[in-house]
Amino acid sequence: MSKTIQCVVVCLVLCVSLAFSQGLSPPSNVTAMDTPNDDGSSVTIKWDAAPEDSGISGYQILRRIAGGGLEEIGEMLPAGATSYVDATIEKGNAYAYIVRAVSGTEATVDSNETAPAKGTGEWFHTGKIPLFVAMIVFSIAVMVSIYHARSGQEVFIRRIPGLEAVNEAIGRATEMGRSILYVLGLGGVSGAATIASMNILGQVARRTADYETPLHVPCNDPIVMNVVREMVKAAYLNEGRPDAYNEENIFFLTDSQFAYAAGVDGIMLREKPAAIFLQGTFYAESLILAETGNSIGAIQIAGTDSEHQLPFLITACDYTLIGEELYTASAYLSKEPMLLGSIRGQDWGKMIIFAAIVLGVILELAGISWITTLLQRVS
Amino acid sequence: MRRQVPLILCFVFGIVMIFTQFIPHSLSQSLHQEVRQWYLIIFPFALVFSSIALIRTHVMRIRRRTEHWRYSFLIFIGILMMVVIGVPFGPQHHVFEWLFNNVQVPMDATMFSLLAFFIASAAYRAFRARTLEASLLLVTALIVMLGNVPVGDLVWNTVFAWLPWENATSGMKQWILDNPNLSARRGIILGISLGVISQSIRIILGIERSYLGGGD
Repeated sequence: MSKTIQCVVVCLVLCVSLAFSQGLSPPSNVTAMDTPNDDGSSVTIKWDAAPEDSGISGYQILRRIAGGGLEEIGEMLPAGATSYVDATIEKGNAYAYIVRAVSGTEATVDSNETAPAKGTGEWFHTGKIPLFVAMIVFSIAVMVSIYHARSGQEVFIRRIPGLEAVNEAIGRATEMGRSILYVLGLGGVSGAATIASMNILGQVARRTADYETPLHVPCNDPIVMNVVREMVKAAYLNEGRPDAYNEENIFFLTDSQFAYAAGVDGIMLREKPAAIFLQGTFYAESLILAETGNSIGAIQIAGTDSEHQLPFLITACDYTLIGEELYTASAYLSKEPMLLGSIRGQDWGKMIIFAAIVLGVILELAGISWITTLLQRVS
Repeated sequence: MRRQVPLILCFVFGIVMIFTQFIPHSLSQSLHQEVRQWYLIIFPFALVFSSIALIRTHVMRIRRRTEHWRYSFLIFIGILMMVVIGVPFGPQHHVFEWLFNNVQVPMDATMFSLLAFFIASAAYRAFRARTLEASLLLVTALIVMLGNVPVGDLVWNTVFAWLPWENATSGMKQWILDNPNLSARRGIILGISLGVISQSIRIILGIERSYLGGGD
């Protein structure tokens, strides 16, 4: 009798588990392959999406190294997942994968094991081909323009009032017998805006060396301070005025944002410089600096690539270099033909982008989304 | 030679670093990381030089008895306190943390709070409707400001209840931010990007030498 009961119970358990597992089909078309365009540190596993009524509540990925046992990797994936990137592989080892479908009742069913896959580092990021081509085209445009400028062709550059005012500001400070304050912003030495600002400072320093106008540069970054000291010193040497160079005028203030703003404000109020240059990367302190400069009646020339701060600087400063003007400033001030040529190349780049935008709009209106797809792929 | 070495280094590293952006291979990426590490190594040395420069500046101010020279003592008191507590006990020490949280943070917050007053004074100058452009700016600013606060929609829905557009103030604000504002910003960003590339080419090719103090 007891044997009969045992048999019935076993049969019931088998029937119930069969009933639950019958609705759960294993993930299909499971493949494992090297992740494209990476350094060989990952493998991508893909499988087909399960139907909505499949009863699957998630997936667990299992991995097997050649000759080893199966191990679970990562967290449980949601039911809608169709891929997983295993970034925990060791380079040189081949791994086989199984995707385990898990139901709400914890019933599981495994896919077939994939063929072993290895991570391989690629030598070119194919997803960046459009970007690479654009960079080459733009670089060629700039270099051709530089070549033309070098051969003596005159380059027309539109008048930029903010840069025209640089000499006026330096002259004003000289006539008033007051100093010039040059603020490089909060960017580090690797920031493009800081480099552009240092290039402008190089030009300003050459003029202050000529006019013997004191130039104060409070720095926020230690590396920037050391670079700027060398740069300004070289500018004074090139102008034949090493005696006019005062190292103490280029100093480190602090790397704290608002302490820096407070320090520069203090310098403005105590020294009352006749001209203030705010060139570089700025954040919330931009208006604090610009308004204080405005309150002391200094002529202020600002320039930044931080587009959020532009409205503040435009409001509070006499002249503002907007975006790209900051990067053309050095060329504009030096009037060197080769530098001016590069600005023309920059304009060619803008023309190409403008043409692409117009063409993209026309094509989109015609129902062709070729350019949009290309740009989406790049991003 | 003093001028050629930096130019050659700049050219070589500029080209190499550009290509590391297009080569995902581990060799290229480790080179990229390595160069970034060099920057981190340079930083502490530069910080020491900068701190020495800062101390020298304030020592000179005290010696020369320049205007407000007494404030320079505060610099030394601040540096000493943080160094004496921070170096042996680390930044997690409760006194160090107390000083940071109760001295530096409130002072930073005070400076940041000043921004509100500066915004008011700057806005007053910018929004004076003396020209067509300034008037447009004023109207746009009013819409955006009203759209940002709940009372804007409340006023609209009460006053213009007979109109079919509900919550139009926030809707207009969003339209301004998403269309004219975003278009202008993207235009500026495109110009900046091209400017950065152009500047990089000039520096890598050694045409731009202002960072070396100018000259030939």
